[in-house]
Amino acid sequence: MVSASITEALVRRLRKTSGVTDEDIKAIYALPITVRSYSADQAIVREGDHPTASCLIADGFCIRAKSTSSGQRQILSIHIPGEIPDLQSLHLQVMDHDLITLTEARLGFISHSALRSLHRRRPKVAEVFWRDTLIDSSMFREWIVNVGQRPAPSRLLHTMAELRERLKTIGRVENDTFEMPLTQEQIGEAMGITAVHVSRVIKQLRADGVVDFQRGRVKVLDEAKFEELADFDNRYLHQSPAL
Amino acid sequence: MHMPRFHFHIQENGLFISDDEGQEFADSESVRKEAVATGVSIARDAFTSGSARRVVVDVRQEDRPFLKVSISLDVEEEASHRKLWK
Repeated sequence: MVSASITEALVRRLRKTSGVTDEDIKAIYALPITVRSYSADQAIVREGDHPTASCLIADGFCIRAKSTSSGQRQILSIHIPGEIPDLQSLHLQVMDHDLITLTEARLGFISHSALRSLHRRRPKVAEVFWRDTLIDSSMFREWIVNVGQRPAPSRLLHTMAELRERLKTIGRVENDTFEMPLTQEQIGEAMGITAVHVSRVIKQLRADGVVDFQRGRVKVLDEAKFEELADFDNRYLHQSPAL
Repeated sequence: MHMPRFHFHIQENGLFISDDEGQEFADSESVRKEAVATGVSIARDAFTSGSARRVVVDVRQEDRPFLKVSISLDVEEEASHRKLWK
């Protein structure tokens, strides 16, 4: 039995988003988990690796990223506590992108054999994790629309709005502020624009009284403006199993 | 290796946005690439939204001018085309 603090955010999220039963939760608590601490900007798994475990973020933030042959990096997604960003490696043996820590992080590694055995014993848990990876791909569709179609200020605000929604689920939003621990360069890699353009967008959003972004924290200055410009509809996050 | 620091000041029409922070670069080719990519990226938003018709990226090494990228929008429209939707 692992300390509940490792799985706390995961269980909190699954209870809200996927209708797990108490028996399922007990089985998840009983999973053998190896906890390791990582520093910021450390690779957890890299493209080409064949991992034998998936990692649950207990604390900290991670990103998934992939680079072109000329070395241009695209950040693909941002991950928060309670998520298992490389759950896909349970069924896709070779990593097709990198998973990297953004901040210091505490990660719980769950062996693929333990996950397989849990899924066989409790098909409901397998369904819940399957649903989780489907939501993951839904978020990628939204990311494509965002990067491909929205102008830079809306693109950044949409990403902030989604992050806020997900952080709310695990109780990590205080009033109107929340963490987004990316540098301007990393935001550029996520949004497909240069760091200087990011800096210009952040200055404009602050001057327009929409949001303030400083040292990895977002403060919403005007909720109505924020929502209008972010063009965010949470349907694609499928946060309720009933809908 | 000491890396010089560059500031990318932006002008959009009359609006001036200064870059106090700056960034370090290993060679002048990387500075040029970053300046062009920044100009194109900002111009795309500014031109399509109509907020500006000219974007200048004025790159300075500390206080000294280093390079300047200017991008302008010119649309020539034949007056006779307007009749098409009448």
